[in-house]
Order: sequence, then structure tokens, then C-alpha cells
Amino acid sequence: MTEQSNHRPHLSSDDPRIMLDGEIGQFENVPPYPPRTEREAEFYTLADGEMFLNMGPQHPSTHGVLRVVLKINGEQVVDLDPVLGYLHRGVEKLCENSDYHHIISQVDPLEYVSSLFMEWAPVMAFEKLLDVQVPRRAEYIRVLTGELLRVSSHALYQGWMALDLGGLAPILYSFIERDEIVEMLAAITGQRMLFNYFRIGGVNGDLNHEFMSRLGDWMSRALKMHETNIALLNENEIFVRRMRGIGKVDKDTALRMAVTGPNLRAAGVPFDVRRAHPYSVYPELEFDIPVRGANGGGDSLDRYLLRLDEVRESIRIIDQCLHNMPDGPVMARLPRLLRPRPGRAWAAVEAPRGLYGTYAISDGTDQPFRMKIHDPSFVNMQLVGMLMKGNLIADTMAVMASIDPVMGGIDK
Amino acid sequence: MSFIPGIGLVRGMGLTLRRFFQPKATIKWPEEKADVAPKFRGRLQLLYDEYGTLKCETCFQCAQACPIECIDMGGVDTKGRFHVHWGPPETYGERREESALRRSGRPVADTAYAHFEGIDIAPLDAILDAHDYDPKELLAILEETQAEYGYLPVAALKHISRITGAWYAQIYGTATYYRHLRFEPPAVEAVAPAGQAQIAAEDGFRSALDAALGYGGRAN
Amino acid sequence: MTTLSRSWGNMTTLGKVVVPLLLLVLVGGPILTIAVGLWVGPWLLGVLSSNMGIVRFVVAITGVLLFSIPAAFIIIYMELKVIAQMNLRVGPDRVGPAGAAHSVVAGLKVLTKEDFTPKSADVIVFTWAPVIVFLTAVMTFLVIPFGPGFIDPVTGERVGGLVGQDMNIGLLYMFAVGGMTVVGLLLAGWSSFNKYSLLGGLRSAAQVVSYEIPLTLSVVGLILLAGTMSLQGIANQQEGWFTNWFVFRQPLGALIFFIAATAEANRTPFDLTEADSEIVAGFATEYSGMRFGFLFFAEYVNVFIVSALITTLFFGAWNAPIDINAILALVGLTPPVIALDPGSLGIGLLVLIGLAPVVLTALFALPFYLAKSSRPAWKALLIGFVLFNLFAMGILTLLAYIGWGWFAGLIWFFIKSFAFVFVFVWMRGTFPRVRIDHLMGFAWKWLLPAALLNLFLTATAIVVVKSL
Repeated sequence: MTEQSNHRPHLSSDDPRIMLDGEIGQFENVPPYPPRTEREAEFYTLADGEMFLNMGPQHPSTHGVLRVVLKINGEQVVDLDPVLGYLHRGVEKLCENSDYHHIISQVDPLEYVSSLFMEWAPVMAFEKLLDVQVPRRAEYIRVLTGELLRVSSHALYQGWMALDLGGLAPILYSFIERDEIVEMLAAITGQRMLFNYFRIGGVNGDLNHEFMSRLGDWMSRALKMHETNIALLNENEIFVRRMRGIGKVDKDTALRMAVTGPNLRAAGVPFDVRRAHPYSVYPELEFDIPVRGANGGGDSLDRYLLRLDEVRESIRIIDQCLHNMPDGPVMARLPRLLRPRPGRAWAAVEAPRGLYGTYAISDGTDQPFRMKIHDPSFVNMQLVGMLMKGNLIADTMAVMASIDPVMGGIDK
Repeated sequence: MSFIPGIGLVRGMGLTLRRFFQPKATIKWPEEKADVAPKFRGRLQLLYDEYGTLKCETCFQCAQACPIECIDMGGVDTKGRFHVHWGPPETYGERREESALRRSGRPVADTAYAHFEGIDIAPLDAILDAHDYDPKELLAILEETQAEYGYLPVAALKHISRITGAWYAQIYGTATYYRHLRFEPPAVEAVAPAGQAQIAAEDGFRSALDAALGYGGRAN
Repeated sequence: MTTLSRSWGNMTTLGKVVVPLLLLVLVGGPILTIAVGLWVGPWLLGVLSSNMGIVRFVVAITGVLLFSIPAAFIIIYMELKVIAQMNLRVGPDRVGPAGAAHSVVAGLKVLTKEDFTPKSADVIVFTWAPVIVFLTAVMTFLVIPFGPGFIDPVTGERVGGLVGQDMNIGLLYMFAVGGMTVVGLLLAGWSSFNKYSLLGGLRSAAQVVSYEIPLTLSVVGLILLAGTMSLQGIANQQEGWFTNWFVFRQPLGALIFFIAATAEANRTPFDLTEADSEIVAGFATEYSGMRFGFLFFAEYVNVFIVSALITTLFFGAWNAPIDINAILALVGLTPPVIALDPGSLGIGLLVLIGLAPVVLTALFALPFYLAKSSRPAWKALLIGFVLFNLFAMGILTLLAYIGWGWFAGLIWFFIKSFAFVFVFVWMRGTFPRVRIDHLMGFAWKWLLPAALLNLFLTATAIVVVKSL
């Protein structure tokens, strides 16, 4: 066997084998190597009275495995450094080695909370590459299930937001709501979470009796349930005090940081991909784009209230879809082995968190050459560092929760 | 910069109290079971049709379609031939070719899994014992095995893998890297092993390259 | 155990010491007890009876210490179940009947966990911090009046009662000792060598200290009205109808006290010290095993103490809401004096004890047997037996309630205290957490002036009423 090494190996501060010798100052050399960028140098030097607090990858409230290194002065956060990559699964590389049909199941686990949208954009991009005409019924079903999932995702957001602020009840109510919607989607797609439902050229299965009965049941209660769940939190003074004025984003900052989705609309910019770059059958549907914070910018409370408005709009869209559902096939006829012409295609959809886009480059073989995924949470997370300066530790949670990131999408 | 606990708090408490008396949403498993949609595809079971026969025909379509190749199956086809396809290949680089062949459903002539002749293991055990079953001394073990048997039989490689714990693919890869190790018996008499000379030559080349590129000394 | 069952040659050193000692105790024990009982016994009894006060004190504090653990268990079970029901789920329901044994089993689980100390922690402080927290929480049990005393025929006032020690500065003692909890929390947070614990400990120090002041100020008005700081005295003054309760004379004080007490007990919405969505478990992050059990139990004991305080001060500690004596006097009856003399029944007593259970069981079982034809007789008898037990317990409880004033008071005290515990648990299930600066702002800018205002109004009212 190899002889014992006499020197201690050089361990990074993430290594679980780190040996503490009881030196007090040891914790302050957070990266043991010299700083590589200016930002690192700026962040990792401590002024008087400051200390690092590591809200590590295992934390009850960081929305997944996110490591946030806070530099705090007492209770006030001076600077914030998010460390990503704990959930990186190499999705884009996996997509490069999968057939076009297999990509749909690879791409589901990005933003596992709203996985149909994650399938939608690649499918649209491939349809552009293959010049496939999607049947209208399939488009309507896509919109219907998508909007259902948006309602479910925003319901989860509500609960999550309250949980991060300390309230234990709303998340349970959110999960009851979400359970109903997810059972509905299981009746039509076959799964409760990572649906794998959209196909290139349509969807996998038609509406069935089980789905329609559950949907009808739910629609009759949807708005009323929405109102009840609002009542618990909207008027709660503690909740409102925790969120008003925290994390104010104005129009210019949001545009500069390339934020999209409800975060952008809560900052006063009426940008929605469904209206700005219309896709699918959205041009035929009537719905408004709620905007908040038009003067001065939006804070966390505006982001929260905006998502509640969006739920109402989604219920409206679902209603219209049900009334206008055309007949026809639900999937275009396509060969099993797809070889699109060499080319590039970009497609973007409005996911519950923002603009989710896919840039697919095909080289004529049956696997794409490159599939670049533009994830909304990845861009929205950049806001956290900016918004946290000067707030308290407790606000870190409020701000992060109000931006609604999902780590699966950020780390891909 | 302060708040008066007002009506909103009390109304929130009223809502929770109302919820206290409402029927609960819990499904008490195992006494109650949730209804699962007929289309649910998460059931871990093979389905039977109404006559009691198994629906699965071992057509390999699911294994062929699975993007992460996690499905193994074995079954008898209509001509009575038994096909079996095992789990994922170990190296990512040869994934494409090998998997296409495997996913086609045709029987794969894989020398690693085909029938191989047995050999007398006792000398091999002695060799392994001499090296203390250490997979880090793999090259020396392989060279001595070749000296013993004249070539590297598949049975010997499998035995080494089982005893030392190294993966078969690692041993196979090491064996294929060195040109003096062979897998078939020699047509002519054995050539003297050139192992150490090759290693020294490669080391010299690598250190010269490092020096030329300006890197510090690297361990092999 | 295996130490004892080995043969002498195989025994460890420890075994060689323990086994002879054990034999000595087993054999010599009874002999010694008899000897001591015969010679020392009467002397011992004489000593005890002449120092009844000390004996009473020791018995009382043992009693309250032993009571605190079941109280914590009940409150933990209530919290799990009540919050679950409010969240539309079922709480624990597997362990005992309807999950009642869940908190007991959880306590046992906490005992069996590994009790480690972090490497760079300050070991002495780390070990003693939970003890301080638990001790100060339990020491406050000493002055809480659980039940009324008897009426002294000479002075016509109530004397004694189910109190550990009826100090005439009882309220001051309570606040003093209860305020020491923050020392324990701070030590726990500091000695853990963990930034989360440090944050939790400092937050808790700031919170508890700043809410002490409105807490104590809000009851000063009450003390002015009652004229005494003894809790039993305050309880005595709320006798009679429920309109005598101090909550109607000091509503603002009651509200301020309730809010400040929530903050003192580190309960939601003021539970930043253990905000488990921000600083994982606050000051208790590095604790495990029984040390964590101490901290955990201390919190629930605190909840009980605080609700007992609210009940005592404002809601008439052990007093029933209605005055039975006054109602009976209206009708013309006097309150019944239960003077049971079982011996007077004679042979009837034997008949009662022998026959009554059997006859009543059969009587209660009969309708169940007749109602469902598929029910076997033994099942019906079982149901009848259970019903007979409930009936007998009900009768005895009623007799005890009527006969013993302290029993009635104890029941009312527990009903009211646990009602307030329910309110605390209810608040935990509903509200999110406040932020530290909101917390401090609220205490210093709103509660403190409100408490001062309350004091001012009370004092003015007393002066005005006295001069009229």
C-alpha cells in the first residue's frame, strides 16, 4: 500500500474533511486561496466589526441547494455572495447526447415546480427546426395545462413566501391546492410532477373523462379558494410590514439586470412574452397583463400581489380554453427518428418565473449539436445581491422568496 | 416604524380556527389509499391483461427509448433465443456507438460477456497475492499474468477484477493501453515485454513536454 | 448487567466493586430499614412534624418539579395536534390513542440521542447553559397558586392554598427569576462556537430584556388595585362572579401583558431566537440529546408559566366564573357539605362495593347488546364496563368538586391555563415572524408608553375614586 503522507492535503473550505484546530480566526479565511477576481477581493475582505455568515447549501429556506455567504455587521447585511452549482446536473450536456424526443424528459427537472413550461420552449424550438405544424387542439391543451401549472406554481410561491417569513399554515394550504391541480395533471399526463407530456408536434394524450371531471370540480371553486387563501396573509399586519419597502426594484434596474417575468412586471414594466412575442394560441385569447409598481418601482409586497393577480388571469385563460377547445388530433405525425435540417432556432415562453428560452442548434444528425437553456431564475437571482445591501438577515429570506427562484433552473 | 396589532391579525386567527373544524385533507395511509388516475405511469409493476397473461413482450422498445438507459431486461423471443441487455456502459466516450448497437435489440457479441474459456486460477492467485491484491500495481500484475499464460485471458481479467475490486473496464483499459499486452495467444513465440522501456520513454516525453510548456513537475 | 452475571474470575474491576455492594444492599437493606424504623422512626416523625413548614415546602417543590414534565408533554402534544388541525392535517395519531403518547416517546428519543459537545465550544458553559434555562423556568412554579386555601374562621379570609410558597412578593420573585432565563440563552448561544447560535443568543437577549419592561410595568396598575404582590392574594381578590376578574378592570394592562408575555416566552410571532427558517435553530443549533431536551422543555414550561400567570393575574386564577354560593343563596339553599361516613352504611357498604360494579356494568351494557344483533356479549360487557368507569369517575369527581374547594379550584385553574396555552399555540399556527427591528420598535415605542399610560390612568382612577 502507499505510505502515509506526512503533510496535510490542501483542502478547500467546502471539503468535509476540514480539520479544525481551534483557531478562532480560521473561519475568516473563507476561501483559502488568494482572490481571483476583483469582486472576490472586495467581498472577502472584512472591515471592522463584520463577519461572514454562511447560509449553507443545507438550509431550511434557501429554495433548494443554494449557498449564500453573507457579510454581516451585527444584524445588518453588508454584502452577499451567492454560490451556485450545488444542483448542477449537466442538463445541457445530456441534451447534446440525447435524441430530440428524449430531451423532453431531460429538460423536465429544471424548475421542477413548473415543468411543462420547461418542455414547451425546447419543443417549440424543435418544431421550428423541423417545420412541424402543431394541431390547434394540441396548442389549446398546451395552453390549458400550462396555465393550470402556472396557478399551481404561484400557489406554491404563496406558501413558500409565508414559510420563509415564519408562518407555518399557508404552505400547507398551498400544498392542498397544488395537490388538486397536480392530481388533475396526473389524470391527463400520467405523472404528478415531472410530466413529460409535451411532444414535438403536439402533446402525448388527449383530454379524458377523469381530467375533465376534476377540472370542472376545481374551476367551480377556484376563484373562491383564491380569495380565501389571500385573506390569511394579505391583511396580516406582520406579513405586510415584513414585505413593504423591502427589495425595491425600479424600472431601470430591472431592465438593466435583464429580469423577466413577474419580477419585471412588479417593477412597472408591462413586458409579457405572451404579448410581446406571441406564440401558440395566445393571440386568440383575451387576458390582461397585470403590472404593479408603475411609479417608483416595486417592492416585495408588489411582487407578491402581482402573482396573485396573475392567478386570476390564468383562471380566465383556462376558462376561455375550455370554451374554445377545437376538435382534432393532438399530435402531428412525425417519424420516430428525427433528423432536422442543420440550423438554429430560438423559442421562448412565459414561465411562471419569467422568460424561459431555448436556443437549439442542430447539425443534421439525430441529436442536437447544442441546446442552450436560458433560465429565468438564473437571471433573477442576480437581483438578490443588489437588493440586500443594508437590509437585515431576516430580509434575505423575504427578498429571495419574493423573487421566487428555483434552484433546478439556476444550476441546470 | 411600528404597528398596532389590528383587525387583520384577528381575522387571520379566525380563518385558522375555522380550518380547525373543517375535515382534514390527510389520507391516512395504509388504512385509506389515494385514488390514482388510470393513466398514472409511476406504478412499479408489470401489468397483466384480463386473461391473466403478462402484457410485457420484452420488445426492448422501452429500453431503446429510455434516454438514461436505465432499463435492463431479459427475455425469450419468438424463435426461442434468449436476449439479455445489461446496464449502462462504464465510459461516456464510447456511449454512442455501443448504445446504438445495444438499443437495437440485436444480440450483442461482446467479448466481455460472451462465453469464455476457463483457466487454472491458482497461478493467478499467487501473482495477486505477491502484489498484495493492490489494484494500483495493475500493470505489474498484468505483465506477470501475460508471462504466466502467454496472453491475457478474459477469465483472468475477470478474476483480477473480482479479487482486487477494480472495475473490469479499468483493467481492460489499462491492458489495451500498453502495446505489449495481448488478448489472444501469440501466433509465434512470445516477444519480450517492453513495459518498463515504454513507461520510461513516455515519462521522458511527458516531462519534456511539460518543461517546454512551462508547467511545474506533475505527478504521473 | 453482564457485569453481574459473570463469574468472579471474569469480572471487571467495576464489577468486583459493584457486586459485593449490591449483595450488601439487598441483604442488609431490609434489616437496616426495620432497625431504623423501630429506633429512628419516631424521632424522625417528631422532627418532621415540628418543622412542618420546611416539610411542606420540600413536598411542594418536588410536586411542582414533577408536574412540570407532564405539563410540557401535554403542551407539546397540543401544539403538534392543534397546529396540524389548523393546517388541515392530522397530527400524530399512531403512537398512543390518537397519538397521545407521541410526546412521551419523543422525550425518550431525546434521551437516547448522542450527547456531543462541539470541539471548540466552551465546555463548562455549554454544559450548564441548558440547566440554567430549565431551572429558571421551573423555579417560577413556586409561587403560582393552583388552588384556594380554606377560610380561616377567625379572620374570615382565605389562608394557604395550593401554592408552593405564598410569598408576599410573589410577582416580583416571578419576574426576577423568569428574567434569568435570558442569561441561560445567552450563555447557550455564546458557548456554542457557532455563528447561528451567537445570532440567536444575542437576538434573544435583546428581545427578552426589552420586553421585560412593558411586562412588569403593565402589572403595576394591577398591583395598585389589588394592594398586594402575592399571587395568592391577587387570586383571592377575584372571588365571586367573573366580573370580579381583573381583566375587566385593567383591559389595557391585560393586553400589554399578553403581548409582552408572548415575547418573553419566545413564541410566534416573536420567535426570532429560534427562527428555523433563517438561523437554523438559533441558540440551540449545536445542542443534541438531553441538553436539547432541556432547552426544548424549558420553552414549553415557559409557555405554561406564562399562561398560568395570565390566568392568575387577570382571569381569576382558580375561581369559577359563576358564584355557586350566591345562586344557591338566591334559591334559599346552603352549599352542601359533603360529610361522608362510609361506616354508617353498615352492611350496605359491602353490598355497594360488591354488587354495584357488576349491576351497573350489566345495566350500561344492555342497550348496546340489544341494539346490534351481531355484537357479541363480551364486547357489550366491555363497553358497559368502560361506561361504568366513566360514570363512577364522574360521580367521584363531582363529589370531590363539591366537597373539596381546592379540587374545584384546581380544575378551573387548569381549564383556564390550558385555554391560554391553546391561544398561544393558535397564534403560532397563524402568524409569521416579526423582524428584529420591528420587534424592538414595537416594545420601546408602543408597549412601553402604553404601559405607562395604563399606570397613569389606574393611579388617577384610584385617587379619584378614593376622594369621592
